[in-house]
Amino acid sequence: MSKFKEKLESGKFVITGEIGPPKGVNIEKCLHDAELLRDYVTAINITDLQSAVLRIGSLAVSSKLIERRIEPIFQLTCRDRNRLALQSDLLSAWALGIENVLCLTGDHPTMGDHAEAKPVYDLDSVQLLKAASTLNQGRDMSDHELDSNPNFFLGAVVTPGAEPMEPQIIKMKKKIAVGARFFQTQAIYEPDKFESFINQVKSLNVPVIAGIVILKSAAMAKFMNENVAGITVPEDIINEMSDTPKEDRKKKAAEITARIIRQVKPLCQGVHIMPLGWDELVPEIIKEVEA
Amino acid sequence: MHATIQKPIDEIIGYLDPGEKVFVVGCDNCAAKCHSGGIPDTQEMASRLEKRGVNVVGWCVPQPKGISLCKLANTKKVLQEEYGEVTKQADSFLILACGQGIHTVMDATDGGMVHAGCDTIFGGETVTDDFITEYCSLCGDCIVEYTAGLCPVTLCAKSLLNGPCGGAKNGKCEVDRNRDCGWQLIYDRLKELGQLDKMDKYIMPKNNSRWSRPRSLTMAGTEVTFRSLAGDVTISRQD
Repeated sequence: MSKFKEKLESGKFVITGEIGPPKGVNIEKCLHDAELLRDYVTAINITDLQSAVLRIGSLAVSSKLIERRIEPIFQLTCRDRNRLALQSDLLSAWALGIENVLCLTGDHPTMGDHAEAKPVYDLDSVQLLKAASTLNQGRDMSDHELDSNPNFFLGAVVTPGAEPMEPQIIKMKKKIAVGARFFQTQAIYEPDKFESFINQVKSLNVPVIAGIVILKSAAMAKFMNENVAGITVPEDIINEMSDTPKEDRKKKAAEITARIIRQVKPLCQGVHIMPLGWDELVPEIIKEVEA
Repeated sequence: MHATIQKPIDEIIGYLDPGEKVFVVGCDNCAAKCHSGGIPDTQEMASRLEKRGVNVVGWCVPQPKGISLCKLANTKKVLQEEYGEVTKQADSFLILACGQGIHTVMDATDGGMVHAGCDTIFGGETVTDDFITEYCSLCGDCIVEYTAGLCPVTLCAKSLLNGPCGGAKNGKCEVDRNRDCGWQLIYDRLKELGQLDKMDKYIMPKNNSRWSRPRSLTMAGTEVTFRSLAGDVTISRQD
């Protein structure tokens, strides 16, 4: 049984991590990153061709984590597969021991390194969640019976910093209605705004896990502010980073991350830490938050 | 309307064998509106080709004024009767029209050799004389009842049916920050109409077999039948 599900359903605070599969066939580095996180997180998200860049698939890496008894959250996007392939990959995932699935739309192919690829989006994230719930009930999308059924713990994403917020919340409700049992969010840097989002979704009674992206530099903050939807890194945090000498940046990044986690912790049921390669900071951050 | 844009002249020249006798055909409806195959555009194409040494035996844009090239009976009459003497000498036809027009010329000339002079790019609204844009993807399964008349299949880069992704910033799409997020437009209009509750409705995945190609429409008396891989759908106008 999924420890991640068990913890969330018993109301405990969870910490999840994230790993991006490599572009190539050597997965040792990413498995090493998973080992670094093992003792500090309940489960690890495995991204599905993040930023629409060709890489090893999330199914393969999730399966490798299962072999090492690390619990994966298998990310599945609608960008590259039609409904046959999505359902088949879900059945494959269950057969490989994967229980947690995060269903997403997926970045558009033009955002990545195969801009000429056909964007599939045969289903959207709401329809994918419904399809996965239907598989859980022993039937496929065409209402044919499965000879045995999975029992996925299904999650979805939401962007608390989106403006306007209302369409995001409408979609969040639709996701819950078709089977989303947990939400992981886009990166949070403004706990005040996050609080106002939480106040709007409290009555939905679904665990929300706040997204935390380790900020590596002022330049990264500026890039995200200009280019990434729903993320606003406030000026004071940008200044904190730019005032820090390069050799102390990692320490500062850990400090800022720990501070944000402490601020959002009372508001939600977990944090999802996206280290973007600075995985070695995660143990320190978590120790500091839990101290 | 079917929007078209002329192919680069060098690409067109590359299609033609040395000495090939070409007859250029335009369309007085959609292609004329797109400035890709109206009377002036077709005449210009004929002289541009001649300047490059192509043997152009003639050109025409089938009339009456405003008629579509894809209306087979008219195109056949024009190409076989009105221009019959010239088209008989032609080895091939260069079509300045959409893909439907290309096939119409093939039918109208009993299997004549055709070259595409245009790319057919989308079905659109002629907003002004100099601006055409796309609001429909011809999917065969319209859902705009739930989206304030705005098609998310067309206006959303990901064709999402149940609301926006998280990629929009300041109401602009993640694929192009100058382009409106389709779901932002739908949300704004539903709100303005006081129909935001329509966004709560779960919209089923598309029946893509209605989008299977080639599709056809048959008119018989008071009934019309749409044929696709989703099966025949017959609608009576008198129900």
